[in-house]
Amino acid sequence: MLEYVRQFINQHIELTEEEFQKLASKLQLVSFDKKTRLVEIGEVSTIFYFVLKGISRRYFYRGKQEVITHLIKEGGMMGSVISFITGEPSRYILETIEPVTAYALSKQDLDELFLSNKKWEKFGRKIITPFFLQVEYQILNNIRYSTKERFVNFMKQNPELVMRVPQKYLASYLEIQPETFSRLKHLMVKEK
Amino acid sequence: MNMAFADIDPILFDYAQRYLGRFMPISREELIELLQYCEIRKFDKRTVIVHEGEVDNYLNLVVKGLIRKYLPVRKNEVILQLATEGHVVQSEISFLTRKPSMVVLETLEPTILLSLTYDKMEEALDKFPKGERLGRMILYGMFIKKDENRYNRLSKSTRQRFFDYIDHHPHMLQRVPQKYLASYLQIKPETFSRLKALLSKRQK
Repeated sequence: MLEYVRQFINQHIELTEEEFQKLASKLQLVSFDKKTRLVEIGEVSTIFYFVLKGISRRYFYRGKQEVITHLIKEGGMMGSVISFITGEPSRYILETIEPVTAYALSKQDLDELFLSNKKWEKFGRKIITPFFLQVEYQILNNIRYSTKERFVNFMKQNPELVMRVPQKYLASYLEIQPETFSRLKHLMVKEK
Repeated sequence: MNMAFADIDPILFDYAQRYLGRFMPISREELIELLQYCEIRKFDKRTVIVHEGEVDNYLNLVVKGLIRKYLPVRKNEVILQLATEGHVVQSEISFLTRKPSMVVLETLEPTILLSLTYDKMEEALDKFPKGERLGRMILYGMFIKKDENRYNRLSKSTRQRFFDYIDHHPHMLQRVPQKYLASYLQIKPETFSRLKALLSKRQK
């Protein structure tokens, strides 16, 4: 399973065998039931996860409505990342949708790595960069594309999530009204 | 042009030290060394510095002036950032992925930037002793701001967005045309005028 983590960390930064072993010695294998909250709003997040199995979501509340900003599956990294890097209370809830298995890295261990060698500073930058880009892509795509385009693009790019994630969560993630989402789904089936 | 320390205006030097100090404490000597990798770029107002479709090659710190970053969409444009002194501004996706920019950067005032090209950044990350740390802190800083921005857009009401922004950036009403502020805050121009009228009442 560590081999799998090595592969997907390699997409972001190349580590030598020695560096990877050093990282691996800090990783802790953890498992959660479905619908487990890993981070609550107001809690300081101190764990960053490399996901081996299962899907999770990150969301906040607008009034009583859940707004999902992130869906994470195997091969992804997750956390309430802003809270993790700033040490401030989380604005988001991180919650599993399916049973999840992951490797956990604590902030304390990561901070120690930062101090030990500047390669780890680079690691810290490279693993956060995808989160940064994702926020920007979401902002731009929500402006550039119509509701229908967003729906179609997502369906094409994430067939797995479509199968595994409840429809209301997908609608929330795409910022589409649930009724509109159902209508678009029917249309898409017809067009096939 | 890259600069020798002697060429740097002392006022610019102080600004650079103060603004970079937000990310990480930086000594005078360190800044002198770091500036060897940087360029000072000066632009007139209303100059497009990154066009749509062009790969953005610069990471910029605004030393003086004002830049708007916007997304052209159909016949319209949506403003994503109004960057003033001390802000980092660039076409982030383009710079980091080396792909053509979807957004446009344009100065609204005469502007001075402390800029780093992609290649010089890579060099500084490698050779400048605290380069990797500073690079990480700048990225984290940009990410924290962007996430906050998105959170505010999604979670706050129009009215709340307006008042929070004006409270935190009172000078922007004077510096930026109203239609740009409305676009940035995603508020319809008519609503913006109405809220602005409320503002003067509130101050009395």
